[in-house]
Amino acid sequence: MNATTNQATSIKLVLLGESAVGKSSIVLRFVSNDFAENKEPTIGAAFLTQRVTLPDDTIIKFEIWDTAGQERFASLAPMYYRNAQAAVVVYDLTSPQSFLKARHWVKLLREQSGNNIIIALVANKLDLCEEQAQPETEQEETEPRGNVRKVAKEEGQKLADDEGLMFFETSAKTGEGINNVFLSIAEKIPLKKKGNEQESATFNGNGQSENSTSSNGRIDLNARNGSSEACGC
Amino acid sequence: MAVVKERRASMAERKPSFIGKESPMIIPHLAGMEDPLPEKTPEEVDVVIVGTGLIQSILAAALSWQGSHVLHIDKNEYYGDTTPTLTIEQLTQWVRNVNKGLIPFYTNAQIYVSSDKIGKNYASRDFGIDLVPKVLFAQSDMLTLLVKSRVYQYMEFMPLSNFHTFENDSFEKLTNTKQEIFTDQTIPLMTKRNLMRFLKFVLNWENYPEIWEGYSNKSMAEFLSEKFKLNQTQSSELIFSIGLCYNNDVATPQCLQRIRRYLASFDIYGAFPVLFSKYGSAGEISQGFCRSAAVGGATYKLNTALESYDPTTKIVKFSDGSKVHVSERVVVSPTQTPDPKSKNIPKQNYKIHRLVVAIEKDCKQWFGEQESATVVVFPPGSLNGENFEAVQAIIFGSNSEICPQGTNLWYLTSVEKGENGKRLLDLALKTMLKSISRESIEVDDNVVKFDNKTGSPVINEKYLKEELNELVEPKILMKCYFEQYTSTCPFSIAQPEIFKTQKKDTTDDTTNGNKDNGVIYSPMPSSEISYDGAITAAKVLYETIVGSDDDFFDVDFEDEDITTTNNNRMSYSESAITDDEGEEDDIIMKN
Repeated sequence: MNATTNQATSIKLVLLGESAVGKSSIVLRFVSNDFAENKEPTIGAAFLTQRVTLPDDTIIKFEIWDTAGQERFASLAPMYYRNAQAAVVVYDLTSPQSFLKARHWVKLLREQSGNNIIIALVANKLDLCEEQAQPETEQEETEPRGNVRKVAKEEGQKLADDEGLMFFETSAKTGEGINNVFLSIAEKIPLKKKGNEQESATFNGNGQSENSTSSNGRIDLNARNGSSEACGC
Repeated sequence: MAVVKERRASMAERKPSFIGKESPMIIPHLAGMEDPLPEKTPEEVDVVIVGTGLIQSILAAALSWQGSHVLHIDKNEYYGDTTPTLTIEQLTQWVRNVNKGLIPFYTNAQIYVSSDKIGKNYASRDFGIDLVPKVLFAQSDMLTLLVKSRVYQYMEFMPLSNFHTFENDSFEKLTNTKQEIFTDQTIPLMTKRNLMRFLKFVLNWENYPEIWEGYSNKSMAEFLSEKFKLNQTQSSELIFSIGLCYNNDVATPQCLQRIRRYLASFDIYGAFPVLFSKYGSAGEISQGFCRSAAVGGATYKLNTALESYDPTTKIVKFSDGSKVHVSERVVVSPTQTPDPKSKNIPKQNYKIHRLVVAIEKDCKQWFGEQESATVVVFPPGSLNGENFEAVQAIIFGSNSEICPQGTNLWYLTSVEKGENGKRLLDLALKTMLKSISRESIEVDDNVVKFDNKTGSPVINEKYLKEELNELVEPKILMKCYFEQYTSTCPFSIAQPEIFKTQKKDTTDDTTNGNKDNGVIYSPMPSSEISYDGAITAAKVLYETIVGSDDDFFDVDFEDEDITTTNNNRMSYSESAITDDEGEEDDIIMKN
């Protein structure tokens, strides 16, 4: 298979977690990092995308949906969960409250998406509980330094085992463990076989076909038959 | 008299990193992710919007990207307000609430849910029922905005090419392409020529005033008959299925405009004029614009009602005890007013009858190939001569993902005045059910076999029995009727004036102690089957708040890895009716 072209499998991934646990930082770290061979950190106002090339040359294109803050007052729309194939549920390992919230999100995800969704439970802010806590903690000026871990690794691991989640501890700040989260998810994605497209195609991204109507009857609104000038009228 | 305020700074002016960029401003990649979000309900916002319906959601997104800080609330636990997509359970609860008088401007809501099917064979959440079903013209302001705002990326769209007209007791599929007109054996040659001439004329109708000016105040049917020699069936199809007009009173120029809307939409994305969004219509687009607004910085709070607004202190109070100071305006959906009896609410003079039915039946024969929806129109008079207004129906199959496999959702709408609306919708439903049962027998040729020797037909009784069982009308899984009121008249063309229903500025009118003094009421959904009017209405509100609609969605998102396909260059007006026969019809009428 020609891995350089657009044979990427698109995966919708949703981010969940209490505010300020570092959801956005994790994604920003992931999409702006240098590890992916086919690096295309293409970020728009809609969501962020990042391609990952697996060892077998399969390309996974993550479409990462941020909550855009709509989770703060429990106001996420059904549109957000719909057809998500993967979710990253984040908590702050210095905040037991955020761990409780993570439990809640896992429950909600199972309700909304059943058991088909791949969920990664991520304990973030690992940098805060290492001996040599870095002095430059501007963005979390209120956080005390030193080992402030409040959620034991075992607790996270237990929740993951009970609910069938993948579990990681990360630091969005140093980048530790971040890529591993996404790479592990990518490896777990059941790859679609040819002719089985509608099974996992979730999303009308930018069509790869020349026609604006794809084989499954879906239309890419950004691929008009007419010239783009015609929009102006 | 309110003092004209200085225009508020745009987002480009407020965010230092944007300064120096030229207009239209470029939204950087990380927009919406760069600032840590505030933890609590903000204490000060520019605009409070109450109700997450389609028009308010477009407004919220436009204001957010303009740079206003928007607090967008809804008393319901779901998005959509007057335009939600609901499960059967939610719809049932909604009907209850209407009947308890909790949702103003809806009356006579009724629902039947088949208890032996829903909750057993099908789950309530397998259905996504829109209170306002709509189709999206390929050439429309809504489609342009969906692309420009990138909201389309949250959604999936499918084509709809089959339009049916109920005429002389049967459903005729519309012959709407030049190709089809040419190949249709049932159309006489002369009629073909006349139809072609009309189609060619209508794409540039304004340029030929000499043809239609004399008919500005006459009926379109008269115009089509006298100027293009089209008979009643043909003109009825043009006016009611292609033009999707309501009645015979439609003025000729407005009808021409509506017919062109259809034809100009053809071949933009393919051989179909309209699209629809999967998972729901207006409810889905509302959610999309709310998400866009959130990315642009708006704060969202469901399950929160507006308690009161004090135009003097500019303090808004909410049902959860919180309050916020608003620097600009408060926009309120009439259904979420803190005071349903308030005289500040614009008069909702127009009634829309809606019927939505879930049936256990495959209606594939009505859909185009690979499609999952169709539009059916009952022109005025076609229902026993009783309906003055057309009944418009949209049918969605299960690929629309709003109903489970083997079922369909039928939406019927009428703007009939008086009390006859419900009966007419029921009549239209009955007619469709009868037709769909009849058609299923026609497709099966096992019933009648021809004797090999004599050639005379032999009826296979076993099959006939099975087919007769089939003829029993399909099972109705859910049926819901309601009446909705709106201040928006059934319009032909969405002029801004239609939506300027706001009463005089009530800000200073503190004497009567209303809880809604000084708020701006947004319009209730219109009866229009397409999205036409929604953006116009949002712009009217936007202009009221910002002072001008010049910078309405004047944003340009940085390009992603979009592979634009520009290889297929064709102007729409050409492709809609290509002269494949090389025939040069002179469209100028020679009298």
